[in-house]
Amino acid sequence: MVYDIEIWAKVAAFSGAGLAMGLGATGVAVGEGYTAGKANEGIARNPKMAGDIFKSMLVGQAVAESAAIFALVVAMVLLFSNFTADSFITVIVLFSSGICIGFGAIGSGIGSGFPAGEACLGMARQPEASASLVTNMLIGSAVCQTPSIFALMTSFALLFSNFSQSPVSPTWAAVLGAGLASGIGAIGSGVGGGLVAGASCEGVARTPSTVSLLTKSMLLGQAVTQTTAIYGLLVGFILLFKTFPASDSIVPAMALLASGLCMGIGAIGPGIGEGSTAGSAVKWIARNEESSGVILRMMLVGQAVAESTGIYALVVSLVLIFVV
Amino acid sequence: MNELGKLHQLIIPFLGRDMTFNIEPILMSWIVFAAILVFGYLAVKKKGIIPGKLQVVGELFVDQLSNLAVDSLGEEIGKKYAPLTCALFMFLMLSNWLGIIPHLEEPTKDLNTPLALGIMGFCIAHYMGIKVKGFKRYMSAYFEPIFFMMPLNLIGELAKVISISFRLFGNIMGGSIIILVVSYLTYSIILPPFLNAFFGLFVGTIQAFVFTMLTIVYISVQVQ
Repeated sequence: MVYDIEIWAKVAAFSGAGLAMGLGATGVAVGEGYTAGKANEGIARNPKMAGDIFKSMLVGQAVAESAAIFALVVAMVLLFSNFTADSFITVIVLFSSGICIGFGAIGSGIGSGFPAGEACLGMARQPEASASLVTNMLIGSAVCQTPSIFALMTSFALLFSNFSQSPVSPTWAAVLGAGLASGIGAIGSGVGGGLVAGASCEGVARTPSTVSLLTKSMLLGQAVTQTTAIYGLLVGFILLFKTFPASDSIVPAMALLASGLCMGIGAIGPGIGEGSTAGSAVKWIARNEESSGVILRMMLVGQAVAESTGIYALVVSLVLIFVV
Repeated sequence: MNELGKLHQLIIPFLGRDMTFNIEPILMSWIVFAAILVFGYLAVKKKGIIPGKLQVVGELFVDQLSNLAVDSLGEEIGKKYAPLTCALFMFLMLSNWLGIIPHLEEPTKDLNTPLALGIMGFCIAHYMGIKVKGFKRYMSAYFEPIFFMMPLNLIGELAKVISISFRLFGNIMGGSIIILVVSYLTYSIILPPFLNAFFGLFVGTIQAFVFTMLTIVYISVQVQ
């Protein structure tokens, strides 16, 4: 049986939608489960706070859910829009945008479960700090969503860019690489950002008077943690918007695909590592407020060193794009 | 959904090259400047020991942001850069909020705006580094821990500009794409106001603060 390009585009759109929603749901489910578990722990410790803990659990889970909603939006667009398939590139584009948001939603989903869980537990330990815990949790979870927003951006950029003028041979690999770079690259930073926000909520429960310092340190830690996800987005955008000369050889195509994979996978480790650095720093600022200056400086230096492997990945993937 | 990817450009030939101006971000930036100027004028119009409502808001901004600068840069340099901190934060916050008004767009949605501000922060940080530490000690920071780490340290410094500007651009652009697509899918029923409140007001404020704080931190890393 011989299928024409329209059929292949449908196949790619459906499998992309399936992967987007399937992968996108896993991380969020893990995060929400963690939140609910911590909420149960909190209620067991302090049953009087059950009502408040239940409410803040639902709010936290609702924010954590937004990563899955991004995946759902892309899946819906893939399922119900009629894309005109003019070449083989469209087939790869549809598939790539699906896996991009699918992978991208995993990290943010897991990550934003941590602050919500710690906030629920913190309310049980320190009922007076409930209001500042909820505010801190909302800010932390909102910043956790940033990596998945980056993945969503690449997804939509893939769907709505016009590739009809581009040569098929290396461009198909470039669009697949773009999806992989910013999708997989978002996993680590999402989880890492969650570790920081979780530590900050725990710290607020321990020393409620330090809340503004803790929120500030949390934002700084999360911002630095997201750096590797931003490298993923950058490589994704270069792969998307640079025009590559046509070639019959498979070598340039594989180089572009490899550069996407390199940046994507290379960004996972630094994201989680920097997150755990910043998480510990924020945790100990809550316990030792006087040394916050030294701790923050150490945190930035430690994160910079942890990030160097992410920079190696960025250098190699840029070499793969521009030199090979 | 054709609103995505529409761009008005003014192209002026200049010395044999084409100079491209993106009209919308420029226009929107001017609106933000005007709003800040009007706010500043109204806030100090009736100065008094018992402050008016706008004066309270203005004092709150100036006080909090000056403290932020002084805390991380020290008394002397912090005081010098407090006005920059206030101006940067207020510009970014109003820029990110502008998108919630129909027919107006965030100037930060165009990569050029955050990139320009990021490069500005980069130049200030390195200028202050050379001025405070001296050229020799400034250069020696690149050869730590071992001399052959120099190229990677250099890329690391340049990557800071990329990361700070793409973070702002990505959040604002991503937010506005989500609002556009979800509004299209739900025929603009119920959801868009909440999305605007979340991505425009909440995320916009957080990202403006993050950008401002990172600019100060980059300066303080160079100075210390």
